[in-house]
Amino acid sequence: MAMANHHPSNDFLMEYAAGTLPVAQAACISAHLNYCDRCRRVYDQMQNIGGVMLERLDPVPVSEAVLDAVLGRLDEPEPLHHPQAKAAVELPALLRRIINGDFSQLVWKRITKSLSISYLSTGDSDYEFALYRIAAGGRIPEHQHAGTEMTLVLEGGFSDSNGHYHAGDFIYRVADEKHAPVALDGEDCICLAVLDAPLRFTGWNYRWLNPFLQLRAS
Amino acid sequence: MVEEKGENEVGAQRTSGWSAPTGRRTDEWSECLVHIGKSHDRAAFTRFFRHFAPLIKAFALAGSSLSASHADELVQEVMLKVWQKADGFNPEKAAASTWIYTIARNCRTDMFRRLQKFDTQLAAEDLSIEVEGEEPFAVLHNRRGSDRVRNLMGQLPPDQAQILAKVYMEGKSHSEAAAELDLPLGTVKSRVRLAIQKLQVQMDRQ
Repeated sequence: MAMANHHPSNDFLMEYAAGTLPVAQAACISAHLNYCDRCRRVYDQMQNIGGVMLERLDPVPVSEAVLDAVLGRLDEPEPLHHPQAKAAVELPALLRRIINGDFSQLVWKRITKSLSISYLSTGDSDYEFALYRIAAGGRIPEHQHAGTEMTLVLEGGFSDSNGHYHAGDFIYRVADEKHAPVALDGEDCICLAVLDAPLRFTGWNYRWLNPFLQLRAS
Repeated sequence: MVEEKGENEVGAQRTSGWSAPTGRRTDEWSECLVHIGKSHDRAAFTRFFRHFAPLIKAFALAGSSLSASHADELVQEVMLKVWQKADGFNPEKAAASTWIYTIARNCRTDMFRRLQKFDTQLAAEDLSIEVEGEEPFAVLHNRRGSDRVRNLMGQLPPDQAQILAKVYMEGKSHSEAAAELDLPLGTVKSRVRLAIQKLQVQMDRQ
């Protein structure tokens, strides 16, 4: 099983387990769990907390009518459900569903020579949910974030001044951190990025692009 | 609660060269759930309902964000899912309470979104991952995890238990919990961190 080296914090795993994360961020954590046994175990334990707390609630009486209503519906046909995400092999099932296929079917918007972005929709209007493709060996100009950014490497890898990242690695950045990622050689790097404010190029020669980088949340 | 002797018991099982050490799970509700899945037994389902439906209703009303009629609707949805999904329940992987908590959490999230007319093609279930790890250690680890959390939960100081209740039962984010309790976010996060330590959530890989 694939092993990631960079993980979401326990806070994120707990909020994910408690179902309190915004859809776009939950989708990113969920995709990371596809790659990561370690986080899946922590997540299991985080869910156990929910189960035990449920057991300990003071019961609130439920009328017999509700029981009868449920018993009367047991023979209803089950709603169709799509198969659950399987262990990491390739693209997380959830992303396949959002993308509706694979990367080749996406519309990529070219931002610079090395960077293309494909904007996806999760229905969450506060967060941009997009795939970034950095050409092998290519660099994203130095930029900073006005808000938070979750990044999950899906294919290839990149490095910046903080380290090297490979498929499955999860990186979270808060406002004002600057970085200039460079894709590893040999393979295009594809990342999922979840942002709550647009990124801003900081170098003078790329700043003119900023007006084109409105947050595309949908 | 389940009268059948033996056949639904979850005990030590051999898994290719590895055998579970000691102990069988003494969780009657897990056994009941397995039985429901296997036999579609309405009487067993009714027993399960009588135990869990009042807890699901309490969960629905926690944080008083749903009306009583929505809470009853949630109970119906959750219990129907229990019936439909019981055959997929694996007591080796999860405790019944954890399993049903996950269903209730997803149903409640979807209900909130429906009520707020939040338009997403993703159901909460799409966003939750089922336990797929097949390695015996992971499975055993998780099965014991629930018992451990249960044993340790009673020892949590009230201020830590209160935060967990806000997050898990009321569905509040850490920052919402901080705002409601009039605490700095840092305080909430440090209580969460202490609670996680006490509950031994993060055991190092062995």
